[in-house]
Amino acid sequence: MLTRPLAEIVGPEFVISDPGRLLAYESDGLTAYRSTPRAVVLPSTAREVSEVVAFLHAEGVPVVPRGAGTGLSGGALAGGDAVVLGTARMNRIIDFDPSNRRARVQPGVVNARLTELAAPHGLQYAPDPSSQSACTIGGNVAENSGGPHCLKHGVTSRYVLGLEVVLVGGRLCRLGGPEGDPLASLDLVGLFVGSEGCFGVVTEIELGLVPAPEEIRTLLGVFESVEDAGMAVTRIMASGLLPAALEIVDAETIRAVEASVYAAGYPADAGAALVIEFDGSRSGLGADALAAAECCRESGAREVRTAESDRERAALWKGRKKAFGAMGRIAPDLLVQDATVPRTALPAVLDKIGRIGDRHDLRIANVFHAGDGNLHPNILFDRTDEAELAKVERASKEIMTVCVEAGGTITGEHGVGADKREYMRMVHGPAELAALREVKAVFDPAGLFNPGKVVPDRETGEVVPDARAGDGTAEEPTTVGPRSTTSIGSPATEAELAAAFADVRERGLKVAVVGSGEHEIGRPPDWSVTRISLARFDRIHRYEPADLTVTVGAGMRLGRLASIMAERGQWLPWNPPDFSNRSVGGLLATAEGGALAGHYGGVRDHVLGMRVMCGDSRVLELGGRVVKNVAGFDLLRPLVGGLGCAAVTSATLRTFPLPEAMSELVFEADGIEEAAELALAFAAETEPAVSSTVDWSGPGPTKVRVRLHGRKAMVEVRGKALSRRARPGSRFVEASLHGRATADSGFRNGVAGERTSGTVDAGETARDLRLTWFALPAALGRTLALAKKSLRGLELEARAAVVACAKEGWVSAVVADPFGDDDLWVEEARFLRASCKGERSGGRGPTLRVEGAPGVSTFDGEESGPPWTAETKRIRAGVRRIFDPWGLFWDPREAVSEAPRKDR
Amino acid sequence: MSARAAEDLGKALADQAERLLPCVHCGFCLPACPTYRRLGDENDSPRGRLHLMRAVVEGRLEPDSEAFRTHIDRCLGCRACEPVCPSGVEYGSLLELARASSGPEGRGRLARVLLAVMAGSRLRRAAMLTARGLRATRLPALVARLGGDAGPPGPVRLGAAMLAASAPGRLRMELGRGERTAREQPGSHRTESPGPAPVRQDPMRGKPGGSEPAEPAGPEPATRGRVAVLAGCVQAGLFGRVGAASARTLEVNGYNVVRAKTQCCGALHAHAGSLEAARALARANMEAFEAVSPDWIAVDAAGCGAAMKDYGELFSHDPAWRERARAFSELVRDVTELLAESGPVRGGALPVTAAYDHPCHLLHAQGVRETPLRVLDAVPGLTAKVVADADECCGGAGIYGITQRELGWRIGADKTAAVLECDADLVVTANPGCAMQIGAGLRLTGHPSAVAHPVEILDESYRRAGFYEHHATRPQ
Repeated sequence: MLTRPLAEIVGPEFVISDPGRLLAYESDGLTAYRSTPRAVVLPSTAREVSEVVAFLHAEGVPVVPRGAGTGLSGGALAGGDAVVLGTARMNRIIDFDPSNRRARVQPGVVNARLTELAAPHGLQYAPDPSSQSACTIGGNVAENSGGPHCLKHGVTSRYVLGLEVVLVGGRLCRLGGPEGDPLASLDLVGLFVGSEGCFGVVTEIELGLVPAPEEIRTLLGVFESVEDAGMAVTRIMASGLLPAALEIVDAETIRAVEASVYAAGYPADAGAALVIEFDGSRSGLGADALAAAECCRESGAREVRTAESDRERAALWKGRKKAFGAMGRIAPDLLVQDATVPRTALPAVLDKIGRIGDRHDLRIANVFHAGDGNLHPNILFDRTDEAELAKVERASKEIMTVCVEAGGTITGEHGVGADKREYMRMVHGPAELAALREVKAVFDPAGLFNPGKVVPDRETGEVVPDARAGDGTAEEPTTVGPRSTTSIGSPATEAELAAAFADVRERGLKVAVVGSGEHEIGRPPDWSVTRISLARFDRIHRYEPADLTVTVGAGMRLGRLASIMAERGQWLPWNPPDFSNRSVGGLLATAEGGALAGHYGGVRDHVLGMRVMCGDSRVLELGGRVVKNVAGFDLLRPLVGGLGCAAVTSATLRTFPLPEAMSELVFEADGIEEAAELALAFAAETEPAVSSTVDWSGPGPTKVRVRLHGRKAMVEVRGKALSRRARPGSRFVEASLHGRATADSGFRNGVAGERTSGTVDAGETARDLRLTWFALPAALGRTLALAKKSLRGLELEARAAVVACAKEGWVSAVVADPFGDDDLWVEEARFLRASCKGERSGGRGPTLRVEGAPGVSTFDGEESGPPWTAETKRIRAGVRRIFDPWGLFWDPREAVSEAPRKDR
Repeated sequence: MSARAAEDLGKALADQAERLLPCVHCGFCLPACPTYRRLGDENDSPRGRLHLMRAVVEGRLEPDSEAFRTHIDRCLGCRACEPVCPSGVEYGSLLELARASSGPEGRGRLARVLLAVMAGSRLRRAAMLTARGLRATRLPALVARLGGDAGPPGPVRLGAAMLAASAPGRLRMELGRGERTAREQPGSHRTESPGPAPVRQDPMRGKPGGSEPAEPAGPEPATRGRVAVLAGCVQAGLFGRVGAASARTLEVNGYNVVRAKTQCCGALHAHAGSLEAARALARANMEAFEAVSPDWIAVDAAGCGAAMKDYGELFSHDPAWRERARAFSELVRDVTELLAESGPVRGGALPVTAAYDHPCHLLHAQGVRETPLRVLDAVPGLTAKVVADADECCGGAGIYGITQRELGWRIGADKTAAVLECDADLVVTANPGCAMQIGAGLRLTGHPSAVAHPVEILDESYRRAGFYEHHATRPQ
């Protein structure tokens, strides 16, 4: 009886309900699980999806989204009461915009097609899961897919800029957008990515593309043992190289491949093979490859092969890429496992996995992304042998236990799905599981999207330390430590912090958590907000340079952290204004990484784990300390850039090798138009051109700064070439070069002048406004002009240069608030709002963020927002409540949205 | 189909169960499949169809169920899924078994009649004679032009268009025009001398073909061994000129061409699931070819070549014929493979632009991608443009346009559009079915341009180079 109404929406040929035809939908890529859905429906537009979901949810029927069904965790499995919503027909590229390096696609578009489309424009879509020839972007978004090259380029979430989604009941909703202010809301886009179809159906995805590398260089190291290969990886990473991919194939896999029709020419008696790939600009790759080859030889490689042509490259990769197919041919069934461990734990973990195989008499072959510690143990078995099947299950669980004990996680890129749901308890405590259930409930309270996935059901008798028991008012929290009124101000332990929270709550005030105290977010009003500093949470808890991770207290100043890391040849590729004085926690709260994000990814992409104290004093341990982790919904995302919606006490960050050299080229241009054009031209360069910014400070020539970094030779050669790229109306002025020892500080120094926050200037009161305009990168000239016009209109003086980032398209200015009066601010806001509106076209255009008046507010020029605004507000409030059920934390976003409302 | 028959046929598929097992359900084949790409239903994908087959084997689905029949029938059999399969599933032969399971009774009457006609040599000859006679009246061309141009044509109009597309006349015109153009162009080469180096535009390849233009070297001495050419059924009946061109060009390239009395190769029957009929034809063919003891067997129809290279597979269950069939299949080559072995010898200039489309049974089933283009490279002055998405089936697929009218038309329309994009003087492909399908598609949309086999082009080039002047066997 579902068939007819569904057929009326999508057409009868696109509703499948015949039992025989439903068989094809009983599994995804993981055939160990089978379950026939009630029906399959194949809509072709967002409107159809919305109508289908509205109808099914009204009937109380659960919906399970499905892309190409290539997933390996049973995520697209649908129970007999559920309807599968297939996105196969939603395969249109809606908009492809090479000048802004953006594409807007329907979810059924195949991953590889994007890169095919982008290649003629010198662009690529970076995430490349092994199934990229078949898997869909919608599926990638659901699983937050990785791939061999995410070591350097990052995973799917880094490239998803905006989403259109259908939520429970069929409500269509937009999240994010490339021209939008990332702080306008909590990072709901990042939260939605990796939600495995449990929050809703993605109907449109806005993606970022990156310049394709000029050249690719591939090497193959052949080793006697996996330990030697692992040693080579450690050496490579320690030497400051950043390969695009580092893949190890173990002896068992080599034997399987070489015995099959896919023989790749790897020596059959080798203990391990290591595929190393570099990509980037031609001038630097040769040296990188030589250095990596040397690392292999020092680690006992018996042979190092290099590829000179595409054909040879393919040959070196063949043994890695054909591994699954080859194993599929030597055994009736294959279970591809997925787990991540800290990279240095790899040899020990592999040894233990080998012993698990021996103990259960199972063949286990390993291929893995060695650079990020992402293991794929492949268990070979025969499903018709029931006893063996049971052994496989036991071995799987033991492998997961070994990985978790080594500090790892249960899935790095395949997702939890149905397969790993029960393993979730290995990595999450009851409080974290409760938080995951809660976020699911915010999006889907009735559990009508992909039920039975990701989060395990609450066990009977399971005690959840939920402080919100009771009526939710100011009750005594159950997990608070000893009370001490003296600790208010600057607590040193979590217990003192909890006591401080309790105290503030009792007094009916709000809390603003501050880090170093020098950069308050949004200027909280003194009369109602108590500042609690985390400056004493400033320890390094754990620093593992070889794993590329550091766990550090939120109060640690970035300057101090940078100097500790520089000793180990590493850094955090962030350059916000006044870098040294910012605290880790403060930076995470604003997610402000500066102009390097275009190359390295933003702050959001570098946070691997967090320990946070919620407003009710619960402590949540989120994420982990491995560089790839998709075990559960990504609650880190709404916290990074969360403007203090919870107190982050410590964070685990991904570190990067410090570049060997850094150089800054300075150009002058006659006007902002010419400067914007020049900066945009540099932004399209592949590395080592990292960032290009425009500095405009009123009269006098406008400056364009281009920063390059990487290997010294490359930086020098490239710097010279780029210095000749001045255009009519612009000229090259000077270049400066820093070696590794000073590259880090050189970088910051170069940046410090570019965006000086007013508060660090001596004698300044905290009455500064920071205005940031966000627009598509190609419109940089227009955005700069808008900024100029707005500043003139308000007769505001920029207190430092107005800076524009060409890769990301924002323009930022710090001005002194001339009124010092929040009521007068209403008039300013009206003017600023109007100025944005004039620039909008087709409902899209610049948005403006104003910080410190008080609060943080974003205007997009729309008087009454689009219909989905209410929905995103509801979700934002719901997500906030997970961390702050009693509304303890002052919300800078609300503080300002109230201000412009006063005059209505 | 009786329950008993269904059970028997299900068993036949069950015997092949171990060949279904390598499918690990990874889904890599989905985007390669023309029907999945258009319908979005996983039952219409290779993985889905294999899953249905496995369900039959496991007794969870009846082989005569509508689900099984519909989706197995809807497969084009283009085998584009095979090269992308990481586990090497032999989809093509599994499909034939599945079709045998779902039974010929399920087929339309027209399809059954066609298969019966092809199986008997006398009937076939009579039918082909009638078809040629009909074609000569130019009535089919007229019929093809009638009727609205939107939506799929009926079987009569489609058949007429296909028949009209098989006519040789157009090719002559196109090539003749090329000849004139070459003469009229001031300072252009005379036809006897080599023209400019061939230019190739193939997105799958990096650079234009690199062979240096040289004086036509003339025919090679016959040192490359004995070759028997398959005459085929449709190929002999409607494309006799292609067979003749194959023989002549092979001779120029140093092969000794011998004649054998051959039958239909049985491909159409095997694809339709009539495996016994296919085996009978195959046995007759093997005997006929073996009688002339050739070193190679040349096939100029990709579908037939694929089938004959698979004779070993067709008899894998039959100990009496297995080894013999395997040895036979070893000898089978596409005619372009043999020609490319020797270069091929370059001919006279033909300044035309040709749009080349890969036949599925050459590219996917035989893995032959380069040699037809190498044959075109040997024609000076010819520009070959590989059609966009040339890897995808044209929708011909035997009698697909008749059995799956709507879908066949959609697939064909996409191919027609891609061919027109090339803005070429003529279309080149290496299979009669594809030639008629693409030709019909062009004709039905008001662009009646010529479709030729690569050897026809090479043959014309050799004629212009004067290679045949001392031969008794001059082209018509």
